[in-house]
Amino acid sequence: MSQPLRRWVHPALLAMVAVIATSGLVYELVTGTLASYVLGDSVTQFSLVIGLYLFAMGIGSYLSKFLEDRLLERFVEIELCLALAGGLSAPLLFKVYTAAAAFRFALYGVVVLIGTLVGLEIPLLIRLLQFSVDLKELVARVLTLDYVGALIASLLFPSLLLPKLGVHQTSLFFGLLNAAVAMLATFLFPLDRAVTIRLRAQCLLIFGVLAAAFGFVSRFVDRAETVYFGAPIIYTAQSPYQRVVITRSPRTTRLFLNGNLQFSSDDEQRYHEVLVHPAVAALGHDPKSVLVLGGGDGLAARELLRYPSIERIVLVDLDAAVTDAFRTLPVALELNGGSLNDPRVTVRNEDAYKFLEDSHDSFDLAIVDFPDPSNYAVGKLYTDAFYHLLRERLSFRGVAVVQATSPQYARESFWTIVQTLEGAGWKTAPLHVYVPSFGDWGFVLAGGEHLTAPGALRIEPTKLRWLESSGLPELFRFPRDTGRVEAPVNRLNDQKLVAIYAREWGVFTR
Amino acid sequence: MDRRAFLTTVAAGWVVDAVLPRREALAGRIIGASHGVGHLVRDGGVPEPSGPPDHADVVIVGAGIAGLSAAWRLAPAGLDVHVLELEPFPGGTSTWSEDGAAPHPWGAHYLAAPNPEARAALRLLEEMGVVKGWDAAGRPRFDPRVLCHAPQERIFYRGAWHPGLVPQDELDARDRAEMERFSRFEDELTERVGADGKPVFQIPLALSSRDPDTLALDRISMRAWLDREGYSSPFLRWYVRYACLDDFGAEPEDVSAWAALHYFAGRKLKTPELDGSHFLVWPEGNGRLVKALFERSRAAVSLGALVTGVRTIEGGRVEVRWLDLRDRTPRRTHARAVVVAAPAFVTSRLFPPAAARLPVRTSSPWVVANMHVERPIDPDMAWDSVLYDAAGLGYVDARHQFTELSSRTVLTYYRAYGGPDVVGARKSLVVAPWEQIASDVLRDLAPAHPELREQISRMDVCVWGHAMPRPRPGFLGERPFEPLVLLEERVAWAHADQPGMALFEESQASGVRAAEAVAPALGIELGPTWL
Repeated sequence: MSQPLRRWVHPALLAMVAVIATSGLVYELVTGTLASYVLGDSVTQFSLVIGLYLFAMGIGSYLSKFLEDRLLERFVEIELCLALAGGLSAPLLFKVYTAAAAFRFALYGVVVLIGTLVGLEIPLLIRLLQFSVDLKELVARVLTLDYVGALIASLLFPSLLLPKLGVHQTSLFFGLLNAAVAMLATFLFPLDRAVTIRLRAQCLLIFGVLAAAFGFVSRFVDRAETVYFGAPIIYTAQSPYQRVVITRSPRTTRLFLNGNLQFSSDDEQRYHEVLVHPAVAALGHDPKSVLVLGGGDGLAARELLRYPSIERIVLVDLDAAVTDAFRTLPVALELNGGSLNDPRVTVRNEDAYKFLEDSHDSFDLAIVDFPDPSNYAVGKLYTDAFYHLLRERLSFRGVAVVQATSPQYARESFWTIVQTLEGAGWKTAPLHVYVPSFGDWGFVLAGGEHLTAPGALRIEPTKLRWLESSGLPELFRFPRDTGRVEAPVNRLNDQKLVAIYAREWGVFTR
Repeated sequence: MDRRAFLTTVAAGWVVDAVLPRREALAGRIIGASHGVGHLVRDGGVPEPSGPPDHADVVIVGAGIAGLSAAWRLAPAGLDVHVLELEPFPGGTSTWSEDGAAPHPWGAHYLAAPNPEARAALRLLEEMGVVKGWDAAGRPRFDPRVLCHAPQERIFYRGAWHPGLVPQDELDARDRAEMERFSRFEDELTERVGADGKPVFQIPLALSSRDPDTLALDRISMRAWLDREGYSSPFLRWYVRYACLDDFGAEPEDVSAWAALHYFAGRKLKTPELDGSHFLVWPEGNGRLVKALFERSRAAVSLGALVTGVRTIEGGRVEVRWLDLRDRTPRRTHARAVVVAAPAFVTSRLFPPAAARLPVRTSSPWVVANMHVERPIDPDMAWDSVLYDAAGLGYVDARHQFTELSSRTVLTYYRAYGGPDVVGARKSLVVAPWEQIASDVLRDLAPAHPELREQISRMDVCVWGHAMPRPRPGFLGERPFEPLVLLEERVAWAHADQPGMALFEESQASGVRAAEAVAPALGIELGPTWL
């Protein structure tokens, strides 16, 4: 490589350097982002990725001295390797994440590989140009552009690339750019005809692979995520309490909290109609004020808002990550009809137990829709002490309904909740419904001495999607295999329910 | 320096920070018992008070549980009661702090549901609203929010946490067999009645059987008893040792078998609501009981008041000399009666005429560390995390009774120095710098919590030189259950040293008893006893 380059080559060369620098930093940001998404603890993940990456660049720079001849060919080949490794890094790592436990090692391996390739680039480029440009000028220009590229990447990535393209398409896009740089190099630098043809063919091949991946990436990622959630994730948030995931397939929207399905839009109407309307019917008069505990998805509130008599709903849900999502996401508003933004609804993000202790309010109706008692913290919301407090917040003839897990899968758990409500002085009317996504699901109506299972709805059945008055008696009839069994009272200092629930659901996590 | 070098330098620092344990200084300090000023009394060197004396109906020396209970008992009489407390805080070893993510204890941190016979304790709990009522059998019903929420305990045993205090699935056949045998014995002993018709172990102690067969247990150590009864399983031995250290701050060889078995068989209250846990727990521990006594005593309390002497003077008065530590002014107060609510060794210095009659007690030093932590929420966090075969006993979570989840909390770590050389242990602890104690605590917790160092923002430490009396073999003395109360007509003594066991009910009863004992000298009617 001793022929002087033509003058017009320079701007194109410098653009190449800028692209190389930008894509180098983008890969770093992509892997760092993926690591913090998947592994959490973003400071540690970003630190590790950046540190490893820079260290690998050092290795690359050192290795560059062993490349002696045919530097131009080597440069193009390195660009192509980088196009593949960097471009496919995000989709491949995501695939590994859903398939294997070794994600961490795959991640660090990919980081080292990309870093090493990036580390080779600049030294080679300087050596390629050293005979055609004054060294002082060369180093100044190349390094300046290197910095500028880094700035461009760090500005574009959070503001444009990540929001618009996502990690997968961003990494593939920069893979395509790297392949384009390789192709450009074959035009800028004089090479043997045979070598030029081979390199250009390779460029085209890799360009094609990356372009296809770019086009198919959403379907590809779908398949990887199906292993976990059965559908593409359209929203995810990590709150101090849980991981919130919303998935959507063409037909169905689902909410998962810590990996547990909360509802599926296919059949949530069965769950929420049975949760709300029998309780309103059992009340015996038009409800004015309602307390909803849990239910941050706004679906129970949606059912309640069908009653014109209701003047106010206080919805207490611990996690703002859930209520915020269901107040703003279009897919959520489609499902809950914007119930959480209704002027009659007040959302309070606080502990339900604490709310009951502090509140002096009085309600006609209480809808208690907590996650299942799978740990001791949630289990406190299924104790006799909690139900005592709840009772103090209801008006004289008030009615409560409690989500009470599945009498089919967790029969003793269900009847423990009934027993605990009765132990706290409530009269109960247990009911259940078949929800295809969940199986047979149970609820408990609770009220004073007057409580009876309602015979008719207090709402026009045409306003509902599933429930009708004639179906009410069947809800309150338990067949022999889910019927009442002897069960203890669940107490704060002795949460028998948590152990029973864990045994029945076969969860032996600790 | 190019971009790579520059970023490498910056990132290297960052990565090192993320990968290696943080080495920035951990904040904290030693708080608590004023060893230095306390020893002024021992060593002399307090100036004589001059000027006219103050006057009070009753002076109570010490604002621990015993002293405040005496004030609480006297409250209905509407007397002028003055409590003098050496420390800048009330409550003695039941004191607490309010700062951080939750109030937290500095010592005693729970009260087992008192037996119906512990009437003074139940009276206080009823006044506090913790006892909600009584069932048909006359047994108290407790506020469920105060009973220790599930899960109560977990144990770090051979590299992993297990629910409960006994890791059933991990034990070998011998451990399991001996634990079962001991548990059956415990149940039988709880029900056992002596020849005199009284339960062999009762709280208050004084209501226990005087059957000589049972009292004979006081002549041997718990360790000797275990040997005699053929208990040799390592886990059972640890379990008993843990109990002795937890309740008495002493190794089983230094604890009377009577006292140790009393721990296992003294609790009689059995109701369905106590099935899960019979511990009454507050974030600030027994600090809540201190507050309750304090609020109800209506006494004037001077903190930072070092009492240097008590003596009877003419005209039916008792003179209490004390040093106001705030301004170092020597003062004296003349009272019609005095309750000295202080350990036996302090009482004998303050009031030498009684020295020969006061029992000789050995007291155990303790270290308590409050760790302010921030860490991921664990919805299954236990109240008490017990460490198997560690130097300390473990720690309790101050936020356990809160229903609200939080990643910030305060963990209170306890370590008793249970060996025979209490003086040596006390001396080295008193001079140990904070850094040394804090690093000892972290090292003890490291196997269970290697990540703890990064989660702690502050660790405050309290060294209790004299935390609690040790019920050593023979502690019941020649005349068991006949406490020395009146030291003179107008001077009474109240303290856990009196029964020789640091139980809330005992300290409280001793304060009530002392108040009732000085009533005749005060010429007042306190009505029927609260005991």
